[in-house]
Amino acid sequence: MVAAIRTEGLAKSFGATAALRPLDLEVGEGEVLGYLGPNGAGKTTTIRCLLGLIRASAGRADIFGVDAQARPAQAHRRLAYVPGEANLWPGLTGRQTLHLLGRVQGKIDLAYRDDLIERFQLDPSKRVRAYSKGNRQKVLLIAALSSRADLLILDEPTTGLDPLMEETFRQCVAEARQRGQAVFLSSHILSEVEALSDRVAILRAGELVEVGTLAEMRHLSALSIDATFDTTPPDLSRVPGVTAVDVEGNRVRCQVAGSVEPLLGVLAASGVHQLLSREPSLEELFLAHYGREPAAGVEASHAA
Amino acid sequence: MPHETGVGDRRAATTIARTTAKRAARSGAVWGTLFGVLVANEALSYHKNFPTVASRESFARTIGSNSALTAIIGPARQVDTIGGFVAWRVFGLLIIVGAVWGLLTATRLLRREEDAGRWELLLAGRTTRRHAAAQAIAGLAAGWALLWALTAALAAVAGARPTVGFPVSASLFYATAATASAAMFLAVGALASQLAPSRRQANGLAALVFAVFYLIRMVADSGTAPAWLRWGSPLGWAENLHPLTGSQPLALAPIVLFTGVTAGAAVILAGRRDLGTAILARHRPASASTRLLGGPAGLVIRLERWVALSWIGGLAALALIFGVTARSAAAGNVGVAAITQQLGRLGAHPADPAAAWIGYEFVFLAALLAFAAAAQISAMRAEEADGHLDNLLTRHLDRGRWLAGRLGFSVVFVLACGVATGTGGWIGIAARNSAVGFAAMMQAGLNAAVPALFILGLGTLLYGLAPRLAAPILYTVILWSFLVEIIGSSITSNHWLLDTAVLTHLGPVPATSLHWTAIAWLTGFAVIATLAGLAAYNRRDLAAA
Repeated sequence: MVAAIRTEGLAKSFGATAALRPLDLEVGEGEVLGYLGPNGAGKTTTIRCLLGLIRASAGRADIFGVDAQARPAQAHRRLAYVPGEANLWPGLTGRQTLHLLGRVQGKIDLAYRDDLIERFQLDPSKRVRAYSKGNRQKVLLIAALSSRADLLILDEPTTGLDPLMEETFRQCVAEARQRGQAVFLSSHILSEVEALSDRVAILRAGELVEVGTLAEMRHLSALSIDATFDTTPPDLSRVPGVTAVDVEGNRVRCQVAGSVEPLLGVLAASGVHQLLSREPSLEELFLAHYGREPAAGVEASHAA
Repeated sequence: MPHETGVGDRRAATTIARTTAKRAARSGAVWGTLFGVLVANEALSYHKNFPTVASRESFARTIGSNSALTAIIGPARQVDTIGGFVAWRVFGLLIIVGAVWGLLTATRLLRREEDAGRWELLLAGRTTRRHAAAQAIAGLAAGWALLWALTAALAAVAGARPTVGFPVSASLFYATAATASAAMFLAVGALASQLAPSRRQANGLAALVFAVFYLIRMVADSGTAPAWLRWGSPLGWAENLHPLTGSQPLALAPIVLFTGVTAGAAVILAGRRDLGTAILARHRPASASTRLLGGPAGLVIRLERWVALSWIGGLAALALIFGVTARSAAAGNVGVAAITQQLGRLGAHPADPAAAWIGYEFVFLAALLAFAAAAQISAMRAEEADGHLDNLLTRHLDRGRWLAGRLGFSVVFVLACGVATGTGGWIGIAARNSAVGFAAMMQAGLNAAVPALFILGLGTLLYGLAPRLAAPILYTVILWSFLVEIIGSSITSNHWLLDTAVLTHLGPVPATSLHWTAIAWLTGFAVIATLAGLAAYNRRDLAAA
């Protein structure tokens, strides 16, 4: 099966600044990949390389087996893209914009487009200049979704949408996935990525630091432990695998990576009264990767 | 510290004024230099053009009886003196160009900023809508001040020469009169920016005001209406200042009053309307038609059609005026030494003065057409910088195909301008029974389009290599060519320098036959540059503003 997206050593530099370090990534057909990273991590740079809007400094990006750098127009035949900023022609109405984008796309499901207009509660008779930011974003979402493209590349697609419309967007992406469409979802909204994605890729300073399913990431990550004791808690900081120990009266919170057996042994011997353990949320996983390290400011200045 | 806070407050309170002033001053400096060079050139070349008293008197008689020229560029007073000649020769042109500069600068720095959402950011600071508008108008005033200062300085430098002999005060007053329309139309542009809901419409509204004032002034100067009618138009007020021919400073009063009241009205209205709205709210429902929206070619026609038609109509109208006035203007001007020399350099040794004059004037129309071509490249760049192009190029559309289609439109537009220019000129000439045929005028029109094609080629190359620099370089090339064309042959005989101006290579058709070698070189360069530009464009990153 040909991957929807395959990159091999894809890299982009702006002068001496490496915005994207060699990236190897694959998105399968019908898969939703969440693409995470703070501002300036290289998310938009990756997407613009995938679309052939900017030239890669090295490596290769294929869309359904077509070299997106060498033959972008052919690669675009099977994809639809929603940018983070809806820059549309202010003098056209929503309907005229949808008509134009549909004609340039070359493929459009008109019935589905009308359905989407209704679901996103868009008034297509208004000029773009009269739309709010959220409504302009809806125009681009409707244009992309109604193409029924095999691959949706979405860069911060819910910018400006209200929570109700965001819920509609999630339903639409879920439907696209059910239909077998692949989705490359770059987003800052971690709950959105957590709810929609089969796999998650985390980017830091232009480098891919983690990729996998949430279950895999959680398995490899530390468990959160919350223990309450009858008496003064023991010193857990020397127990193998235990970090981030926080003592508050008879209560101790900590993280444990790897085997929990040594910790359980100490807890059992110390008269633990109550024990709660929890897998980390995507937010905790994300923050664990970034910690307190400052993010590189590359993307913001070159490709945001 | 309290002292530092005070300074910071003052700086914050004038941020908008300083930012606007900086941007208005850039444009004011360019046009001020051009105004000053034009005035200085006319003053310094007077004795070369009219070496004898008889030649001056002959010129004065011809111009004095030419009602068509008087209606178009204003009345001639004391043209047998150097002061009268300089006042008449470029004053009418400077008033028109100054007014257009004023209205375009004001709408660019007010309404366009608001359309782009940047005004909103400034208003989020410690200011009010009214205060912000007042600051922006103060910034525009600084731009005008530079326009005036450079015009005045260059006029004063030329005036100080013994052969010219203008008192400094006369040169300063001339600059004031020549830039008075710029000040008034900066205020008109500022007011239109409050009244109209977009920059394009603000431009249209201000241009309409200009057209009405111009027509009133034209009728007043035609000799068929009472002289007091000139007081009905601010452009007439500027004429009533009579610079260099018995200055009338009192006539400044209505100009100052008009500018102050119009600018004040703009400030008051800015405070009364919501951001992003207009006093003249548009109730016209949006069109539902999807005609021309089947692809990028149709889109460019839809987006550019009114701009293109305005250029085509404007150039045709100008050519028509040149055609109508060709015979009478030729009688007064072809004898002027500088023009004869210029025509000779361009290869024309006119047997028919009307053909010579129209050929000479068409070189200036060629410069305007080149500006239209540069504006096309600028519009292309704006499509990319504004992010609109991403919407097309992330779909099933090849970059090269898009650029080729966009250029195809520009080439057709430039050629249409050439045809319209030729047709307009021929109608004007035919109306006055001059003996220049349709085919010759059509050749003249298309000949005037050749530098524009060259600019399109050069522009494509620059757009492919360095998109942010394309428009500034193109406008510099055209301005340079225009300046060399006007004054180059007066100040140097170095043909290497003169040859750097693209307009120099044009023959003044219909006074001469087409310069096929030059046309082949210019269009050949355009084709090669276009191909190189396309290749570079296909290889570069798309770049935001």
